[in-house]
Amino acid sequence: MIKNLSVLEFEGLEELLKIKAQELVATLDAGDLLKAVELINELQQARHQVFYNEVGHLTRGLHEAIKSFSSDIDEKIVDDMGKKIPSMTDASDRLAYVIELTDKNSHETMDRVDRSLSLVDRLDNQSERFRDLLMLVGQLEGEFKGLAGVYDRTCSVKNESEKTIEELRNVLTDILVSQSVQDITGQLIRRVINLMTQVEKQLVKLMEMSSKVERLRGMDIDAVADDDKEPEAADAIAAQGPQLKKKEAGAVSNQDDVDELLSSLGF
Amino acid sequence: MKKDIKILVVDDFSTMRRIIKNLLRDLGFTNVDEADDGKTALPILQQGRIDFLITDWNMPGMTGIDLLKAVRADPNLSHIPVLMVTAEAKKEQIIAAAQAGVNGYVIKPFTAVVLKEKIEKIFERIG
Repeated sequence: MIKNLSVLEFEGLEELLKIKAQELVATLDAGDLLKAVELINELQQARHQVFYNEVGHLTRGLHEAIKSFSSDIDEKIVDDMGKKIPSMTDASDRLAYVIELTDKNSHETMDRVDRSLSLVDRLDNQSERFRDLLMLVGQLEGEFKGLAGVYDRTCSVKNESEKTIEELRNVLTDILVSQSVQDITGQLIRRVINLMTQVEKQLVKLMEMSSKVERLRGMDIDAVADDDKEPEAADAIAAQGPQLKKKEAGAVSNQDDVDELLSSLGF
Repeated sequence: MKKDIKILVVDDFSTMRRIIKNLLRDLGFTNVDEADDGKTALPILQQGRIDFLITDWNMPGMTGIDLLKAVRADPNLSHIPVLMVTAEAKKEQIIAAAQAGVNGYVIKPFTAVVLKEKIEKIFERIG
């Protein structure tokens, strides 16, 4: 039997093949066909075992890398109070924390926008009171020569200021709407979290598989392999999340495209 | 356009619900209810006081497209106009939403002008 098959890796394979091939030739020369077939089986088994050992190696390496990555990052993350954030043990939690932070931040920004908008409203009201006072000036203008032209000039200043208020309101609304980036980034991050959860699950499966293979060493390895199923057909209209690049295949790139598509459908 | 109609805004991100709510307020609509996915939206709709539905697509629990289909399938709700506000931008998705009976489709990120325009257009059409 082949010795140390369980630790055989790619580097050792060539050496083993050489030895076995020579042994095979010698056995055939000696006319022992049964022994020769046994040797061919052993060769095949060695090839499978190398593959599984490599995969096992890779899996353990990946697992270690993820673990050390997690602990590495954990040491660097501190909250605003300068404390280490506890229970941030995996990357998914950290990404979820990013969503939480941007959510909080967006709401704080919107609080300020709301406050600013109410200040703009106050300016607007003052402008109305100003108008009443102006009417008075207009009436007095005829009586006092020194006031000539003051009404017209003040009126144009007032109109300018009303325009500025309107502009300010629009800019504040733009700031409000731009907070929607929190939703967009949040959706993208959620997709990454889902992907990572999947990868993690598959990784655990892979580790289980490789440990099973190790236990089954010497037995028919083929039974474990070739178990891949066809991936489920992707749902064509399943939620995709935000488009990363414009002009992604089959995606529209702006509202005009949506409108065009809908109007072609009779909307 | 009646300003006292009741509008339900459905999105899993509270940021987005707040943005839409504020823009509706600018348009004069102050009677706005919120839900964070289709599952929580349906009971609110079934209480029967919602006149207009604005929903996201991609939500945990029950998605916006499923909510739209549920609304259209329910004789008590099927008349409610539905505006979809979503980052989903695949042609198949827009077509699927149209076939499911959506009244308008706005892709995120949107501008205040676009959202207001689409809302007004829907109200114009339904009178």
